[in-house]
Amino acid sequence: MSGSVRPRLSCEWLHACSGCEIALLNCGERLLALLERVEIVHFPLLMDHKYSDRGDAAEIALPEAEIGLVSGGVASEEHLAVLRAMRRQCRTLVALGTCATHGGIPALRNQWPVDQAMGTVFSGVGGNNTYPVEVPAPLDRVYSIDEQVTVDLCVPGCPPRPETIVAVIEALLAGEKPPLPNKSVCETCPTVRAGKGQRTVHRFLANADYDPRAPVAEMRCLLEQGLLCMGPVTAGGCGGPDAPLCIRARVPCRGCYGPVRPGGNPLLDMLNGLASNGIDHRTIVDRRSLLRFSGAHGLLKPLGRRG
Amino acid sequence: MNPEPKIIAFCCNWCSYAAADLAGISRLQYPGSVRIIRVMCSGMVHPEMVLHALDKGADGVMIVGCHLGECHYIKGNELALARAEVLTDTMEDLGFESERFQITWVSSSEPERLAEAFRGMSARLASLRRAERNQAAAGE
Repeated sequence: MSGSVRPRLSCEWLHACSGCEIALLNCGERLLALLERVEIVHFPLLMDHKYSDRGDAAEIALPEAEIGLVSGGVASEEHLAVLRAMRRQCRTLVALGTCATHGGIPALRNQWPVDQAMGTVFSGVGGNNTYPVEVPAPLDRVYSIDEQVTVDLCVPGCPPRPETIVAVIEALLAGEKPPLPNKSVCETCPTVRAGKGQRTVHRFLANADYDPRAPVAEMRCLLEQGLLCMGPVTAGGCGGPDAPLCIRARVPCRGCYGPVRPGGNPLLDMLNGLASNGIDHRTIVDRRSLLRFSGAHGLLKPLGRRG
Repeated sequence: MNPEPKIIAFCCNWCSYAAADLAGISRLQYPGSVRIIRVMCSGMVHPEMVLHALDKGADGVMIVGCHLGECHYIKGNELALARAEVLTDTMEDLGFESERFQITWVSSSEPERLAEAFRGMSARLASLRRAERNQAAAGE
């Protein structure tokens, strides 16, 4: 098969850690079959590629592609320009990973105004800050990519499950609807639920009570044990057909797949769920950290002007 | 800008909506910018509905239910109270002043209490708006 007739795949990363790309490469033998079926035209993790012939980066030149994968949120002018170029050149644009779909960890910055965040990180000494010069200007906050351009598909996860990424690409190649999990973590969790649990929430220092020799399915639900497990408000799918990953490690879900419903607010939904079940939400230390993966879409804001 | 702060009031079918009805029949005066939404029970108002109203431009949101212990559904208003506590805390986290939300109990025979609650909320939001305007003027 000649290379030119294969569908082209273009991957780009913005405000990201490269974990999503590594997850794609981590899918084992299915990767080899996938490489037979697509032609990778742009993939900064794997291959060198210049963004501009003229070298001044005024006009970002990216190759055309049938499928574009973008990981990471949008935090600077450069990210925005690259993202717009990707949107222009890709027929189907996929937001890959929680940073791209909900802001992810980098969007924690949204809790502070940008000058305060920069001043804290590059505080310098003796009143002379060490602001980086000649780097793209930061935006006023970190955006998810669907806030900036139209996105055809959102695949959350930190990182998304390798099998899910490949299944999504294969479904797009076949012209089918990609198989995305739409259940919460709790619905995929096998732990034992007895109905009523603790009335308070332990601090994160507390460990779960379980028998390490027994399977996860015999462990008591972590939320009922009083640990702050974000399973009820977090999209599932991290463990595939098995137990969710963190639960498998006997620690509570941290919410890395973002809200179950598009537009959901994990902080509000989680506290509402606790309150509805008679659990004292004021025992949570630093409840704003429940938005640790979902700070984009304006959910994390600098505290009110009065604060 | 409309001089009167816009208020969305979720009133439960059994007590507070009946009270609003009675307030109308009794010709009690309260600000015309209150928009009443009838719900079956104050406990069914998800906090997200309140935030949605604020996001869409309401100045304040009220949830009005039956007095505690008098809920038509036995415990609906206790649930509403638990949710309201969450909401008050979360609103500050999300960048809204917690004064923009209030939960009140009104029985069906207390239209004056309801009108008073509406008037109080309206006054509170108006002073909040004034403070904001002063702050903006001072910042310029």
